[in-house]
Amino acid sequence: MLKKLLIQFAFFLHESKHYNRIKEISHNFLLNSDYKYKKYFDIFMILLIVSSIAILVYEVKHSVTNWIDFFDLYVVTLIFTLEYVARVWVHNSWSKEVIKEHAEANFLGKEFSLLAPTKRVFKEKFFYLLTPSAIIDLLAILPAYRPLRVLRIFVLFRVFKLLRYTKSIHQFMEVLSTKKFELFTLLFLLLFIVTTAGIAIYVFEEKFNPHINSLFDAFYWALITISTVGYGDISPVTVEGRVVSMLVIIAGIAMISFVTSVIVSSFSEKLDELKENRLVEETNKHEDFMIICGYGQMTRMFLRQYHQTYKNRYIIIDNNKKKIDEAIKEGYRAIVEDASRHDVIAKFNVSYANITLLALTGSDVANIYIILNAKALSSKIKVITRASNDNIAKKCKLAGADHVVRPNVVANKMLLTAITQPVMYRAIYAILTGQHLAQLDEVLVREHQKLIGISILDINFKSFKLLSLGIQNEKGEFMFNPSLDYIIKKGDTLLLMGRKVSISYFKSSYAKVSYGA
Amino acid sequence: MERKAKAFMFGYGKSSSFVAKQLSYESLHLSLILSTQEAYDQAYADGYVDVKKIDMTDDSELEKLEVGEEDYLICVLEDKHLNVFLTLSLHALFPKTMIIALSDSMHTTQKLKMAGAKRIIDLYQVSANRLHNILHKPVTTQLVDRLLSPSEDFSFKEMTIPQNSIIDKVMVDTFDFTQHHVIMVGMIDNRLSKKFIFVTSGVENRFDSGDTIVCIGYNTDLEKFEAYINEVKR
Repeated sequence: MLKKLLIQFAFFLHESKHYNRIKEISHNFLLNSDYKYKKYFDIFMILLIVSSIAILVYEVKHSVTNWIDFFDLYVVTLIFTLEYVARVWVHNSWSKEVIKEHAEANFLGKEFSLLAPTKRVFKEKFFYLLTPSAIIDLLAILPAYRPLRVLRIFVLFRVFKLLRYTKSIHQFMEVLSTKKFELFTLLFLLLFIVTTAGIAIYVFEEKFNPHINSLFDAFYWALITISTVGYGDISPVTVEGRVVSMLVIIAGIAMISFVTSVIVSSFSEKLDELKENRLVEETNKHEDFMIICGYGQMTRMFLRQYHQTYKNRYIIIDNNKKKIDEAIKEGYRAIVEDASRHDVIAKFNVSYANITLLALTGSDVANIYIILNAKALSSKIKVITRASNDNIAKKCKLAGADHVVRPNVVANKMLLTAITQPVMYRAIYAILTGQHLAQLDEVLVREHQKLIGISILDINFKSFKLLSLGIQNEKGEFMFNPSLDYIIKKGDTLLLMGRKVSISYFKSSYAKVSYGA
Repeated sequence: MERKAKAFMFGYGKSSSFVAKQLSYESLHLSLILSTQEAYDQAYADGYVDVKKIDMTDDSELEKLEVGEEDYLICVLEDKHLNVFLTLSLHALFPKTMIIALSDSMHTTQKLKMAGAKRIIDLYQVSANRLHNILHKPVTTQLVDRLLSPSEDFSFKEMTIPQNSIIDKVMVDTFDFTQHHVIMVGMIDNRLSKKFIFVTSGVENRFDSGDTIVCIGYNTDLEKFEAYINEVKR
């Protein structure tokens, strides 16, 4: 009976939109670094931690007002507790596991055991509770328990909690974790030397040195000496003790230089990666951005012409370090990565941002792989690629490319026009290369714009020194050279040709939003 | 008898074979000048008759080509170093002849310009602009595609105003194009200069015989309009 009820409850949770929505939001706030509101939550938590530490430190020597005490005791602790519970909750899903197991049991025709998935889920949650960050979270709640003053020491764990929310500290720890082996080896060496030197000084000086009364004093002296701090509160008085001191000092200097070199080398090894991660994070902050795969001639030309248009809303990916170095030298935002790898594109905010991916590597095969990789991640990603011939263009379309650019086709057409229709060539060339004297531009008619409801005749494009080539309506139908009595509607796109200044003047005169009439 | 303009195309690769094919449909006489036996055999196999194999680094062989001032020299060699060298040689030998070259980088474009090419088509400049248009000007992209596609019934047309044309001595501003359903993009107004002037540049132009105008429209409308300007003034 209970089993049946629990299964029903699992199905209820799984199907409940409300429950799943809350869980998804909680997950986004706590764990999804791509979620655009997570940064506000992080800032809030940092402020809370800092205020709580400030209160606890202030309290040491001063008495605090009741409301501050209430805030620290109830509000901060409650939020920390809720956060702790929420993290355990979102770590995995009991209902999902139960349903999965139930479906498998049904499929195989075997008896369903509720205990197995429940055990699995709780085991995972238990292991999560044992992770350092979960322990810190739990210990950070403890200072709220006032009767036991010793628990106040756990205020330190509130400082550690900052690790979760401060990226640079987090990155520092990550870098150190790559040298775990070296650092642990050094730690054991340190323990060994401190123990040996401590025992030695204890044996040699316990009877002669009034400051060394126990083994603890000896270890304390050894640690202070090896760290080269040397308070001077305990110093050796016998020759044997001084010899031990000298050896410990030499070992200390060697160890400090060793530790420094390990940390510095780990940073220099990781510096490029850290910089690249920062660049990806910055790119992800935008709602729409562009990923340019491949830094070849086409990318160079594209960015040379339109770098200012895209500002920081793009990132170049190329697996050739030399090319990326060149791009960085040119002042572009670039990282060394292989765009055909799933995890590389997955680093970007594919769920929330409008991403345009330009597959512009020199290899058709690589471009097709990149298209498939991007489209497999999200069909929302708009992909534009280059192709060397018709067959490749067809394959790119099949792979899911939204647009295919064939450099040879456009260039050959231009070449032909230059020979067969030389006068027309200038017009086409100017239009295709976007020269300022003959730009083609589009004006999308939005709600409340002055353009709505007036005819082409009323606008008098001639007075703006503009040519109106056509209009595309909301349905996407293009009308070339529309009649003068055509009334402009919301959602129309006017296609205009003229000098850049004429287009800007027209936009400032007509495309302005007017709420008056 | 008036000599027909000739197009000398230097190089015959995957991409340039398309240009050669299209040029063979035009009224121009096409001569393929190649430096390798492989390209020579391929051109023959593709049906070209006027194919010559020469050493392109040898000026004396280039001189023998009988290039006239009204001809076109098309440099589309796949070896970009040789392409620049050839452009320079041709410019030195035939300074008044139009040299058209294909480039695959901005550095090559600059070198070709310095070597004397009058028209340089930079593969990547055109493509980069197209990329930008796809992203920000989708309607423009569609229109340009239609204009460049030979299968569309919609294109650019270049027309020369004949003697005593019905539009001779008419000011451009006063002419009503709407009734002809075409749009004039620009013209060469011989009265002012030999340069192409866009209609949006603000210069007051006048149609005179011998001027060349460029219009956009449906092919049928363009043909009708050409027939109209060919009508003689009464």
